[in-house]
Amino acid sequence: MTSKLTLIASRKPQAAKAPPILEIKGLGQIFKANSGFLTVLEAINFNVQPGEMICLLGPSGCGKTTLLKILAGFLNPSSGEVLLHGRPVLRPGPDRCMVFQEDALFPWLTVAENIHFGLKGKMAGRRRKNEMVAHYLDLVGLASFAAYLPGEISGGMKQRVALARVLILEPEILLMDEPFAALDAQTREGMQQMLLRLWGLLSHTVVFVTHDVREAVTLADRVVVMDRNPGRVKKVVTVDLGRPRNLDDNRFHRRCATLHDLLRSG
Amino acid sequence: MIKQRKFDYGLSRMLPWIIPAAFVCLWYLVAEMRVLPAYFLPHPGDILGAGVTYIFGSAGDGMYAGRFLMDAKASLVRVAIGFAVAAALAIPLGVMSGRLPLVERLLDTSINGLRAVPGISWLPLALVWFGIGLKTTVFLVGLAAFFPIYLNAASGVRQVSPVLLQAGAMMGVRRLRGTFAILLPSAMSYIISGLRLGLGISWAYLVLGELTGVANGLGAVIMDARMVGRIDIIIVGIIIIAVIGRVSDQLLDASLKFCFKSARRTA
Repeated sequence: MTSKLTLIASRKPQAAKAPPILEIKGLGQIFKANSGFLTVLEAINFNVQPGEMICLLGPSGCGKTTLLKILAGFLNPSSGEVLLHGRPVLRPGPDRCMVFQEDALFPWLTVAENIHFGLKGKMAGRRRKNEMVAHYLDLVGLASFAAYLPGEISGGMKQRVALARVLILEPEILLMDEPFAALDAQTREGMQQMLLRLWGLLSHTVVFVTHDVREAVTLADRVVVMDRNPGRVKKVVTVDLGRPRNLDDNRFHRRCATLHDLLRSG
Repeated sequence: MIKQRKFDYGLSRMLPWIIPAAFVCLWYLVAEMRVLPAYFLPHPGDILGAGVTYIFGSAGDGMYAGRFLMDAKASLVRVAIGFAVAAALAIPLGVMSGRLPLVERLLDTSINGLRAVPGISWLPLALVWFGIGLKTTVFLVGLAAFFPIYLNAASGVRQVSPVLLQAGAMMGVRRLRGTFAILLPSAMSYIISGLRLGLGISWAYLVLGELTGVANGLGAVIMDARMVGRIDIIIVGIIIIAVIGRVSDQLLDASLKFCFKSARRTA
């Protein structure tokens, strides 16, 4: 009996006791619009546990990208605060790396140089750095594309480069802003599986923004369901499916349906 | 695929020379038919002769014989100094005004006001300030080249996607390095356009500056030849300026591409 309990507990190390890595407290964001003010986010509260994969799910316009930008430190919130290890987040930094929705690679650098970019200024020998670049190129399956320019590779490959160039910085938290939204369904599924594989390997904390219910259920430990006008947390749903997840079984579909209903309900 | 490219290569090698060749042929025909008097439009053969004497002749062979090296050197020095000064001021100012709204606010009115003044109206003032010679020409060249370089650098920096700068910030890039590692490479194709436009205008204002009676220089030769009615030398001068202008443009482009990855790969 005891042994069974420990087994369950060890499968979910992020549950319960560990202190949260990210605390989002009473976060609000108001933008000045043409005619008056626009409340984009209101009273956002939730915690992220270390090693957790959390999805922010919501319709477009619910402020999920804005929320992610605040977590990254690109944007200062109008009210409330974000705590990383208990300390407020004030500016961007390599401990919280973002994979952007759109193409944010440097077009004048090759795939390998893009991945190498963040290493400049770090204390490591040239050989060590090159080894790291090769390692991460390998991890995302782009070893044979090292010398290509971003303009010469496909959208899916670009997002893999974007992933590799932040993974090489060994961030604690990976922020992903609908990184696979622009890809075709097949490529997207491949990317999701790759992300899960890398997550299993490197066990980052991941905050993943998406508007795709299926993607959220595929990836997340917990899903933060958001509402719009103003952007609010509707509910935080724990996805109680084991891993690896079978994307065709009934339990998976039921979780999707629940989230769909939750999104639709006023 | 490979066959196609080979064909394109041969054709594209030939293509730039078609218009000059057609032009020379037409000119030759007109001259052979003697519809225009020689003092109006000399025969291309005579131009060739005059050009050869001007470039390769030795000092005793005639009025303009062998002056080419001296003139070209004087002109090149003037263009080089004026253009270099313009680029050294215009690129940093342009980058700052494209990036920092305060600097833009500070500079924009003044620079656009100055830009509205035709370069030629500076000539009398420049003559009073700097006298006849190197300084006046450098002043005019620098002034004229400044504006296209400044404006293109500013709009190049303005169109840099903020996502690239955010990406840099999250990778721990601070402002100074961000400028050289992200901002300038992203704006490179605009900066190159500005520099090329600026260099082109430099040659125009070089001739203007040299028309004022300096002893040597390609513009000076043209003016001098007009005084003594040597239209062949005028035409030789024009052709030489066209050739040097084109070559210097290509050299500029090639050297930027040699020096900067971003110029090689995105421009």
